[in-house]
Amino acid sequence: METIDIFYQGHGIREIEHIEADRDHTVAVIKEILFKKHGCEADTLIFLEDRETPLEDHVVIFELVQSASANLHLHRCRHVEVTVRFNGKPVDHKFAPSVTIAHIKRWAAVKKFGMTEEEAGEHLLQIAGTKDRPAPGVHVGTLTSCPACKVIFDLVPDERVNG
Amino acid sequence: MAPDEKALRADLAKAMFRAAVAKGRWRQISIAWPHVFIAVTAKDGREFVLRFDCTGFPATPPTAGPWDMQRNAVLAADLWPRSKGGRLGAVFNHGWKNGTALYLPCDWESIAGHGHWQTQMPSKIWRPDAGLPQYLELVHELLNCRDYLPPARAAA
Repeated sequence: METIDIFYQGHGIREIEHIEADRDHTVAVIKEILFKKHGCEADTLIFLEDRETPLEDHVVIFELVQSASANLHLHRCRHVEVTVRFNGKPVDHKFAPSVTIAHIKRWAAVKKFGMTEEEAGEHLLQIAGTKDRPAPGVHVGTLTSCPACKVIFDLVPDERVNG
Repeated sequence: MAPDEKALRADLAKAMFRAAVAKGRWRQISIAWPHVFIAVTAKDGREFVLRFDCTGFPATPPTAGPWDMQRNAVLAADLWPRSKGGRLGAVFNHGWKNGTALYLPCDWESIAGHGHWQTQMPSKIWRPDAGLPQYLELVHELLNCRDYLPPARAAA
């Protein structure tokens, strides 16, 4: 039987992990496999990357993504409270935990702070009070602690390499 | 197999590396130890092969430069990605180390003599636990930013 590569992150699973699943596996089956592997709570939800709502148990993941691989997220919270600060001004939004750093940066830089795409490309999200700049593909839910899922970023210039 | 080669092969087998392969961001071409050849996809779909020297991996940072697989040589200058005057041009500088290294803080050849990068750009300093995807993320981001232009020979 053909398979699908499932790459996933989650609350407490910051580094990407992988399982191989059958193409007819539903979300319920994937949940069973992953919950057993990671000892997840029964109310843990599964999200598709950059999608706002959790997947329902009857959904066949391969039919949904129509691809040889899928990127998922495991989390108990439906939303993460995100604050992005730039030039002393904060903007807030509730994102699904499966939303990527790339998506949040674009939302903040272009939509909220009015940057051009070029200007946005010259900036990165840095976790407030740290030097940690998560990679664009990191899911925001990996950076939080349940149940108060909240994260604050500073939008900072991406230093040019010279000199 | 030497420990550095074993560690590198384990790094390439990790989900973090393979997830990016599945997204078409980069792919492994071959290993001829201590060299590892990986193609990184630019925003126009063009692939640029990097030849990594992974001697001492992961404690020692790798060094990498654009490579011509057919000629088995450093990529000709007119086939390098070009810059519109922004940050890509400083990193993809074929005059630096005869084209064998990218001008990045996570590159072993380039960090030498640039101790100030440790404090100026801590996020770009090599982290052994992050492995090759750290280097590849920086390259992929540059090849997909607005500053990227296709090589001169391709555009001619």
